[in-house]
Amino acid sequence: MADYQAPLREMRFVLNEVFDAPALWASLPKVAENVDPDTADAILEEAGKITSGVLAPLNREGDEQGCKWTAEGVTSPEGFKEAYQTIVDGGWNALGGNPEQGGMGMPKTLVSQFEEMLQGANMAFGLAPMLTAGACLALDAHGSNELKETYLPKMYSGVWSGAMDLTEPHAGTDLGIIRTKAEPNDDGSFAVTGTKIFITWGEHDMAENIVHLVLAKLPGAPKGPKGISMFLVPKFLVKDDGSLGDRNPVTCGSIEKKMGIKGSATCVMNYDAARGWLVGEENKGLNAMFTMMNYERLGVGVQGLGAAEASLQSAREYAKDRIQSRAPSGAQQPEKAADPILVHPDVRRMLLTMKGYVEGGRAFSTYVAQWLDIAKYADDSEQERRIHAEGMVSLLTPVAKAFLTDRGLDVCIIGQQVLGGHGFIREWGQEQLVRDCRITQIYEGTNGIQALDLMGRKVVGSQGKLYELFAQDVAAFIEENSDEQSLRPYLELLAAALERLSDVTEHVINQASETPDAVGAASVDYLDLFGLTALAYMWARMVKAAAAKAEGDTSGFYTGKLKTARFYYDRLLPKTVSLAEGIRSGSDSMMALTAEEF
Amino acid sequence: MPDYKAPLRDIKFVMSELLNSDSHYANLEGAEDATPDMIDAIIQEGAKFAEQVLSPLNQSGDREGCTWSESGVKTPAGFKEAYSKFVEGGWPSLAADPSHGGQGLPSSLGIVMSEMNGTANWSWGMYPGLSHGAINTLEEHGTEEQKQTYLTKMISGEWTGTMCLTEAHCGSDLGTLRTKAEPNMDGSYSITGTKIFISAGEHDLTDNIVHIVLARLPGAPEGTKGISLFVVPKCLPAQDGSAGERNALSCGSIEHKMGIHANATCLMNFDGAKGWLIGAENKGLNAMFTFMNVARIGTAIQGLGAAELGLQGSVAYAKDRLAMRALSGAKNPDSYADPIIVHPDVRRMLLTQKAIAEGARALIYMTAQKADIVQSGKTEEERKAADELLGFLTPIAKAFLTEIGYESASLGMQVFGGHGYVSEWGMEQNVRDARIGMIYEGTTGIQALDLLGRKVLMTQGESLKGFTKLVHTFCKENTDNEQMKPFVEPLAAINKEWGELTMKLGVSAMKNREEIGAASVDYLMYSGYAVFAYLWAQMAKVAQDKLAQGSTEELFYNAKLQTARFYFTRMLPRTKAHAVTMLAGADTLLDMPEEAFII
Repeated sequence: MADYQAPLREMRFVLNEVFDAPALWASLPKVAENVDPDTADAILEEAGKITSGVLAPLNREGDEQGCKWTAEGVTSPEGFKEAYQTIVDGGWNALGGNPEQGGMGMPKTLVSQFEEMLQGANMAFGLAPMLTAGACLALDAHGSNELKETYLPKMYSGVWSGAMDLTEPHAGTDLGIIRTKAEPNDDGSFAVTGTKIFITWGEHDMAENIVHLVLAKLPGAPKGPKGISMFLVPKFLVKDDGSLGDRNPVTCGSIEKKMGIKGSATCVMNYDAARGWLVGEENKGLNAMFTMMNYERLGVGVQGLGAAEASLQSAREYAKDRIQSRAPSGAQQPEKAADPILVHPDVRRMLLTMKGYVEGGRAFSTYVAQWLDIAKYADDSEQERRIHAEGMVSLLTPVAKAFLTDRGLDVCIIGQQVLGGHGFIREWGQEQLVRDCRITQIYEGTNGIQALDLMGRKVVGSQGKLYELFAQDVAAFIEENSDEQSLRPYLELLAAALERLSDVTEHVINQASETPDAVGAASVDYLDLFGLTALAYMWARMVKAAAAKAEGDTSGFYTGKLKTARFYYDRLLPKTVSLAEGIRSGSDSMMALTAEEF
Repeated sequence: MPDYKAPLRDIKFVMSELLNSDSHYANLEGAEDATPDMIDAIIQEGAKFAEQVLSPLNQSGDREGCTWSESGVKTPAGFKEAYSKFVEGGWPSLAADPSHGGQGLPSSLGIVMSEMNGTANWSWGMYPGLSHGAINTLEEHGTEEQKQTYLTKMISGEWTGTMCLTEAHCGSDLGTLRTKAEPNMDGSYSITGTKIFISAGEHDLTDNIVHIVLARLPGAPEGTKGISLFVVPKCLPAQDGSAGERNALSCGSIEHKMGIHANATCLMNFDGAKGWLIGAENKGLNAMFTFMNVARIGTAIQGLGAAELGLQGSVAYAKDRLAMRALSGAKNPDSYADPIIVHPDVRRMLLTQKAIAEGARALIYMTAQKADIVQSGKTEEERKAADELLGFLTPIAKAFLTEIGYESASLGMQVFGGHGYVSEWGMEQNVRDARIGMIYEGTTGIQALDLLGRKVLMTQGESLKGFTKLVHTFCKENTDNEQMKPFVEPLAAINKEWGELTMKLGVSAMKNREEIGAASVDYLMYSGYAVFAYLWAQMAKVAQDKLAQGSTEELFYNAKLQTARFYFTRMLPRTKAHAVTMLAGADTLLDMPEEAFII
């Protein structure tokens, strides 16, 4: 296994050269007061050191050891506790947090680079800060001032961690049917009772306290999603002076044995009239969850990207070192027993596919992060800019989550394939990446659910208006760059891809008005089609940024970008043709079979 | 873990309704015993063994894994007992040569058994599975004495066999292997070297293990032309034929791996172990190739098994799990939600799995019939034609089926949502186990080179034509069948395009040999979907005919028809992308400077 190295050169390219993030930050006063290019660069550099130097070395051993459950609690793998302390000491948990409560207020465009490193270095560990950040977001947006002041500073510092408790044994995708109850106490708090499953880092020994955000139903609450409220339930109750008091009756009943992310604890959490406090309004719990969903979902997409980057690093090192057979066109390294496998066209196809998706994916996640930043930080005077960005976020979030994790897993599987038999053996780490990455397609809304969100709620739901925002952005790029020499070979193909996507979009919107199943029948293929087209756009933007610097470039960095772009357009983008055809065939072939016939 | 249920109805459909097994067996030399009743009875019994003995050990075997110690490898609890029952039942000898104790039934029947055993418990199935390769090698190339000594014991199942090919530095490229064989005075050889990734290389199921080892003789030519084949038993056969003195070979360690935990993947050390040459000196690799097709079909079954097991699990779960309401209105108004099978996207997953599993069964059984004919066809002409088709279909079956079988396994997990990811339900084990299929026995990339380079282009496209002719005939026979139009039209189109694409690749490969490797995997996947289109069209035809004849199994045949429709409208379009990318040329791949990969 190659040692994970944070891909800082790639990140700087995307941030500075492709998207000119410093200009974006400067245009947002609330961001500009916290970050400038030098600070950002220093953060990247430091993040690279911590993730590569502290977290990555614990990754494989964490997988081997896993977490251990006893009635007293959960023990994390060796070294995790110390590493967590390093994260706390460095203030990394606070990176994107609200400065009023001790956060650093860094923009998502920057934070998501850190998240990629965190997840690429050690996904099982990375889930702990990730979930804490998610809980902080929800609390910051919806908690009362008292709750915020009591909990947020400790959570930003990481002294306390956070967990999100949604799923129950019978209710995952369909949260409307949850059964956990919250009954009012006399003092304004609530007694929460029920069982939650699949709670990531719901219990552990790394932080002093664990703050659960729990979905539950109040007495007499309406049925379905409109009767769900959110509660803050700490593991230890907090005294008035902020110190820790009694143990709250919220306990971990067991942890799951699972395919991957074994270094993290996936907990069954039992609430036996545990004390909790309402976050936000009664029965609006699901809405409160949704505010942090966009961030979380991009974060999960970035997990897929991080794993994919780690797999790519390992595969290309192997392809360079492993000697096996001769190049078809004649020996390339005649002094050795065989040529490195990097000479073989099919090995290159695999590596270039990985590069095409990883580097395109990084550009895409940064692109989405950019809209998140504008939506969150645009001044009140710039309402139109903000609304536009909110529309983009809403449209692109499901794509970022599902497309980046789907391709992330594909990339890890290809990375495993490059190593042949060694890819199947634990020692080399590739199979762990596949096992770890596999969960990202499932949690935080399965990718099927993301696709329904995109196709149904966003695209059809807005009658194509949200889609138009994206289409116009791409069309404007094509228009603006029609004279750009370097982009000649790409713009026509990009325009054709956009047209294909637009046609299919219109087709499904029309179908949906006639048959309700049209959305679900098209959704997954549509999301794929959307993602592939969006990455084509990203690659065009990268070509634009790289072309001028490619001349006389001896490092291979910029020429590599141009060649990978060409590969992407020649070999990956054509999948859109197949997808469009499948979608056009409609839902009949899916719905005709009775349940028994299966 | 889903309890495995042998899909007996579908097995029968493919064997007798799609592939006319009755007349197929009747036309084979020496297959007189393979009467329809006999076959039915054997399959029923085999199904019981797979369901009742092997399936219950699948999950526990994964959890426990194999344990290594100096004295050998211990298989998980229950494996040994299951193996004894297997031997007692006479299963290992089913399709083996009667002159060494086999029952002489056609090998395609053995494939059905391998499917059921392998789906129920792939790790277990690999122990007897690996013996097949060793048995075939000895049958084909061994001396009479070697056959007498080893074959009878291996065919009865008393001993198992392995194939020792890979070394630490060489897997795909066997030409560079280093294990040495030095002649002893008594005609035997002394084998020294280390082999890795030897499946079932050491275990406690039998008291002897017969290794077939690739090694180099002193002064042998470099590369693949200097490799010879040796039989090297764990215990030297004693005078009375039993396992005698321990030979100088041992298992140094076993691998920790992603899946197939219950099958020992061994590092084997040969320290001057006694072995005997099989076949001619330096012709070891050729000898291997004679049975490679059979071994590869054996691996292709893993794709089928993964697809089937994933499908069985996810269908049961999708009918049972309640979440949300159907978009077109509640289907299960008495309960708080509808079963997830009502949702179109869940159906997309299930239908994809169904199209894969049933298509895979059809492809494997068809290929197995060709292997029957190669072995026991009545005329030379028949055998030759079957051999060409077998050579063409084998890399497709191995690579395409393990690739899409993995897809089905992964979809099976996705249908379960979070429950798919936890071990309890067994769906993630199915994915972990299935992953190796795309790697061993020649990776997908290697199969693709074999298909496009060795099989198709080296025969100037003849081996492809052998298959496309069959498709063409089928299309012609059905041109006037209005109901078959949705299948025949796209099938005819793809059949034509397949030939055209091959021509284009042939032309560009003449100019630049790198074009083969640049196109090969896309070509293989394209070919897989094309073969599936042929099979699904044929299955649709059978179903239509049965329904027209007023079959009482309306449910079954309707499902076939609908799955065929799904395949043609939702899966076959994947060929469009492969058609474009296979022609994209080698430049895109080779122009990339090496440094640009490494940065």
